[in-house]
Amino acid sequence: MTAERLLLFSAARQQFALNLQEVCEVMEPQQCYPFAGAPPHYLGLINFHGNLTALVDLAGYLRLPGRPVPGKILVIDTRLAHLALRVDAVGSILDATSITSFGSHEDPLVEALLETPQGSVRLLRLETLLNGLEQELQQSAPNNAKPGGT
Amino acid sequence: MDMSQYKALFLSESREYLRTIAEQVVALEQSPGERSAVDALFRGAHSLKGMAASMEYGDVVVVAHSMEDLMARVRDGATPFDAGVADLLLEGVDLIDVLLQDVEQERPSTLPTGDFAQRLATYAPAAPKAAPAEQAEAQGAAADAVPSPAPTGPAPSATAAEAAPPAPEAEKAKEPAGEAGGTVRVKTELLDHLINLTGELVTNKQRLLTIAGELASPALNDAISETAKLLRSLHDEVMKVRLMPFEAISDRFQRSVRSVAKKSGKEIHFELTGREIGLDRGMLEQLVDPLNHILRNAVDHGIEESGERERAGKPARGTVRLAVTRDRDRIQITVRDDGRGMEPATMIAAAIAKGILTPEEGELLSPRQALMLSCIPGFSTAKEVTDISGRGVGMDAVNAAIQKLGGTLGIESEPGVGTTITLRLPLTIAIIHALVVQVGQVKAAIPVNAVQRTVELSRRQIETMGKRQMFQLDDEAIPLLSLNRVLGLPLGRFPDGILPLFVTEARGRRVGIVVDRLLGQHELFVKQLGRPLSKLAGVAGGATLGDGEIVAILDLAGLL
Repeated sequence: MTAERLLLFSAARQQFALNLQEVCEVMEPQQCYPFAGAPPHYLGLINFHGNLTALVDLAGYLRLPGRPVPGKILVIDTRLAHLALRVDAVGSILDATSITSFGSHEDPLVEALLETPQGSVRLLRLETLLNGLEQELQQSAPNNAKPGGT
Repeated sequence: MDMSQYKALFLSESREYLRTIAEQVVALEQSPGERSAVDALFRGAHSLKGMAASMEYGDVVVVAHSMEDLMARVRDGATPFDAGVADLLLEGVDLIDVLLQDVEQERPSTLPTGDFAQRLATYAPAAPKAAPAEQAEAQGAAADAVPSPAPTGPAPSATAAEAAPPAPEAEKAKEPAGEAGGTVRVKTELLDHLINLTGELVTNKQRLLTIAGELASPALNDAISETAKLLRSLHDEVMKVRLMPFEAISDRFQRSVRSVAKKSGKEIHFELTGREIGLDRGMLEQLVDPLNHILRNAVDHGIEESGERERAGKPARGTVRLAVTRDRDRIQITVRDDGRGMEPATMIAAAIAKGILTPEEGELLSPRQALMLSCIPGFSTAKEVTDISGRGVGMDAVNAAIQKLGGTLGIESEPGVGTTITLRLPLTIAIIHALVVQVGQVKAAIPVNAVQRTVELSRRQIETMGKRQMFQLDDEAIPLLSLNRVLGLPLGRFPDGILPLFVTEARGRRVGIVVDRLLGQHELFVKQLGRPLSKLAGVAGGATLGDGEIVAILDLAGLL
């Protein structure tokens, strides 16, 4: 069952959607501070109302070619995660009644392939995205420290 | 009448009663004749029953009622307080604890309480043993006497009372604190919010300091200095509010020691002091597993069998002491046993046999360093793995957990005399002092508790031993490690030939961690990173510096 309202956005020339309730704010790009030890699509940390929030380039995580645009930041509901996604652009809010068809998708990250008046949209499963990011971090543990090498 | 609004209060108070009951049971085993403890146990079960009845939680009523009945028989002298009674009462505590979880989750309970009530109602003590202590001596062990069973009968003889003074636990027979005496119950979320606001103020103070440095205004400097003092007072007061007495977790240790002693057939006298010392509530829960492991180790591996102890001229009954003390803004927890102790040479030999050390490296280790080998993953000198302390969490995990809390772990041991493990912890884990360093394009913070000292090392001072680069500090060869390399960042160049580094302890050895620059010490408000970054190894949280820049706080134990 799809949520009543979805937020449409784009990354790497593809259209995506998230349940509107899972997103708490859309922001302009802002200063972010890099940190070490995470994969390159972690752009850094941003301060979102006092919450230190990881900024992840969605296209990079999905292994899709990025676009050189300033983009937007989607901040995920802080009750669910301390995560913000850098995307290319944010579109409209879509009412579920305007979806013309639902299709399944082989990627477990995609809950459904939606046909909408704005075209084909991949509805993302936030929990799967979070699990994937966490697993990736666990696997990218820091280099085994070797003495020397100064 | 809708009682649901009182559920949280019922659960909180019931758990306090359960904790008190468990403590009293263990204390009574140490000092069975303590009348006040017997009375307190009876009252605890009675109060619990009354509260559960008013909330109509029938299962809890059944269990508490049967415990109350049993304690009434003990109080009236019809049944002696022996190990069997203690077992049943502790089983009752566990049973009610599960029932309370069901109440909390609003799910129906499936636990059969009738059988338990029946066993309590029909409990009869085992046939009394003649002079249990002497019997234990004769047998060389007292498998069922942990601690030694009480003399039968309701009142101990005068000589027994003199010989075994009441345990401090029993003397402190008391009821859980209620709302009397000018105290109120406050939701923990509110306390967390208070510390968050205080932390944000600390961050803003740093920001003001940065601005004042640019403006060079004496009046602004004075105002900030005054604000900083007030903020320090506010911080201290808020931290006090968050402190919870150590006794909030200590009953688990008493029971854990009792259970391991019973399984391993050893006689143990367990002493706990400093139960009233307050620790940050965020830290308390994270101390349970490490302390449990240390205590279980002490009983299982440290304390010898009774026969072996007697042959060594020691009392048959081993002693394990858990002591909590506070020295200004530090908490010290020690676990001391009077067991067989550890032999540094044995530890080194075991590490060499396991390939952890080369024989040459083994020769360089001081006795203190040799003892710390037990904190290296995969190191264990126990001849056989037992189901008590030889599996699961090891001393390496204990050490890592303590370091993650910004603390340190130290081991002292004397063969034949015993072992002391000392944990030194900060009073708070929310606001810390940290050394900020630059590595590549990234700034990172290291809690100062983990930093022994900082050094600016000339390249000439670096020696190469095999594949390792070392330098001499206090007559000790210390290996060098690049933090850039550990974090997967480009290595520093150091054109002036000076390498900035800090010295820390990793895997029981001092190590020099080279960074690009040492940027100074900062007071930081530690924030948790949440999903997904909480899964990133080697990062304990994040913080905002005075200029608004965000830094990750490194957990060196997880990183190295």
